[in-house]
Amino acid sequence: MPPIIKATKLTKSYSKGIFALDNISISVEPGEVLVVMGPSGSGKSTLIRTFNGLETFDSGQLNVLGIPLESQNNEERNIRRIRKRVGMVFQQFNLFPHLSILDNITLAPIKVQKRKKMEAEQNALSLLSQMGIASHAKKYPSQLSGGEQQRVAIARALALKPELLLFDEPTSALDPERVNEVLDAMRRLAEQGMSMVVVTHEINFAKEVGDRILFMDSGKVIETSTPDIFFLNAKHERSRKFLNQIKNK
Amino acid sequence: MKNRYSQIKNLKRVAFSNTVDSIVSLIIISIGITTLLTLSKWMIFSANWSVVSINLPLFLFGSFPNDQLWRPGLWISLFAIFSLITILGPQWSWLRKSLLLLWISYGPLGVFLLAGGIGLSSVESQNWGGLTLTILLTSCSAIFSLPLGIALALGRQSTLPIVKNLSSIYIDVMRSIPLIAVLFFGQLLIPLFLPVGLEIDRVSRAIIAFTLFVSAYIAEDVRGGLQSISRTQKEAGEVLGLHPFQITCLIILPQALRVALPSLTNQAVGLLQNTSLMAILGLVELLGVGRSVLANPEFIGRYIEVYLLLAAIYWILGTLMALIARHLEQQLTLEKKDL
Ligand SMILES: Nc1ncnc2c1ncn2[C@@H]1O[C@H](COP(=O)(O)OP(=O)(O)O)[C@@H](O)[C@H]1O
Ligand SMILES: [Mg+2]
Repeated sequence: MPPIIKATKLTKSYSKGIFALDNISISVEPGEVLVVMGPSGSGKSTLIRTFNGLETFDSGQLNVLGIPLESQNNEERNIRRIRKRVGMVFQQFNLFPHLSILDNITLAPIKVQKRKKMEAEQNALSLLSQMGIASHAKKYPSQLSGGEQQRVAIARALALKPELLLFDEPTSALDPERVNEVLDAMRRLAEQGMSMVVVTHEINFAKEVGDRILFMDSGKVIETSTPDIFFLNAKHERSRKFLNQIKNK
Repeated sequence: MKNRYSQIKNLKRVAFSNTVDSIVSLIIISIGITTLLTLSKWMIFSANWSVVSINLPLFLFGSFPNDQLWRPGLWISLFAIFSLITILGPQWSWLRKSLLLLWISYGPLGVFLLAGGIGLSSVESQNWGGLTLTILLTSCSAIFSLPLGIALALGRQSTLPIVKNLSSIYIDVMRSIPLIAVLFFGQLLIPLFLPVGLEIDRVSRAIIAFTLFVSAYIAEDVRGGLQSISRTQKEAGEVLGLHPFQITCLIILPQALRVALPSLTNQAVGLLQNTSLMAILGLVELLGVGRSVLANPEFIGRYIEVYLLLAAIYWILGTLMALIARHLEQQLTLEKKDL
């Protein structure tokens, strides 16, 4: 099977001389969970956001689900074709506060995929119970805890039946005691064979769920290793330093 | 009992907490009471309210044909009924959800009831007047200027330079012209722009002028609302594959309008009061009826009675509008909270 994401020599810089992405090549295979780690400002968000066209890049090649993305001036329709098949979960949940939980989830299936309301709602309810929050369907985002909101956000992304899920620090905005309920939901998705790219600092999750760890610093890929190697004897000095820092927190 | 006691204590704290406060409070209270007493004494013993009682139909309906008075009557009663429903906050959620629709259809319904057609005999707009005309001018201008204002606000944020610039110029120009000038232009210039043979009546011209003017202000209020919505909301819509138009209509606008609602209410109350300018331009709306009644030799000199009545009506209408807006706002958020 062809890779789900194939990036070759991606570069991007927001301001002259500073690279947010510096010559990055990476591919993600179907069913793989790629965990992206790295210090703040190393370009993790920028990288993961190029995968669904939220950010452009300056040079290099990118191919997502067989659809090529150009470095500039992508056709709006091409990007939407990718977005319909790639779900994304943000650090700040970004639920729609004026819509009920159910409407948050059914909005895209109804408006983008033109599915019937009944069918979309049934699907949404089953996703919610899969996330363990079916009883909140009629509530509004502001009535839910952070962990619950993030699980709604995951359900919302899943409602489009995506082939790839992107997570940008999904647990960083949560109270510590709420982190695991979200990680558990993600773990179950991985077990079901979902392809995922996850930016996170959660070491246990990375160890147990990740197939590969991508470590970035200053826009560069420092190393790509399996969790066993990365957490026990990382190849690179900078990776070890970083691991020490987050372990001591 | 206890409650009243605490009210008194509260009053004491608010108004009489120290000597200076007490003196100021006493002065204000005595001025208030004197004014009220003088006014009520005058209203009861000196005023001659026949000017009001005789002309009441005129104040309410203008010179609408006598046998058709039920039409404006029904329409104004509906205003009272809709207001009551909104303010009481119905328990049935279907009614709560259709309140907005009810209010939106109110203006067009008025045009139908007044102008006639489909089974109703037609009545020329020269015969519309009084409170009926005031409410008609207000509700129709409001209904039309809201979508135009929203379109202008969105236009001002457009990425197309021509749309953006045209919207900005329109908004800025309109906001720097006094309303009375726009109304004059509306009465004098609009006929010039129309193709030969097509004529529109003074009421429609007034509604067009109000709409053009108010929409510029609404656009700025809506723009404020739009700016208060975080960019991440747009992104959340984008990653779901929604079309930019869908993102605007389904995600950004509903939130922006809720933010803008208090200032939109201000615009609506301002609009109500500004419709009285049309009295100068020859429409016999509420103030116009007042002026024409006072011009009648039979009621000469009854200024205070007439203007007190007008003030009272405007005050009631304005208060009602503010109340309605507040309850609409609450109900929009209530749907969120009481589940
Ligand atoms: N919109 C932006 N404009 C300018 N610079 C940006 C923008 N977004 C990110 N950057 C810069 O790009 C670099 C990478 O940022 P980011 O991808 O957000 O890192 P991370 O997610 O790893 O913390 C940082 O130096 C950051 O300051
Ligand atoms: Mg980031």
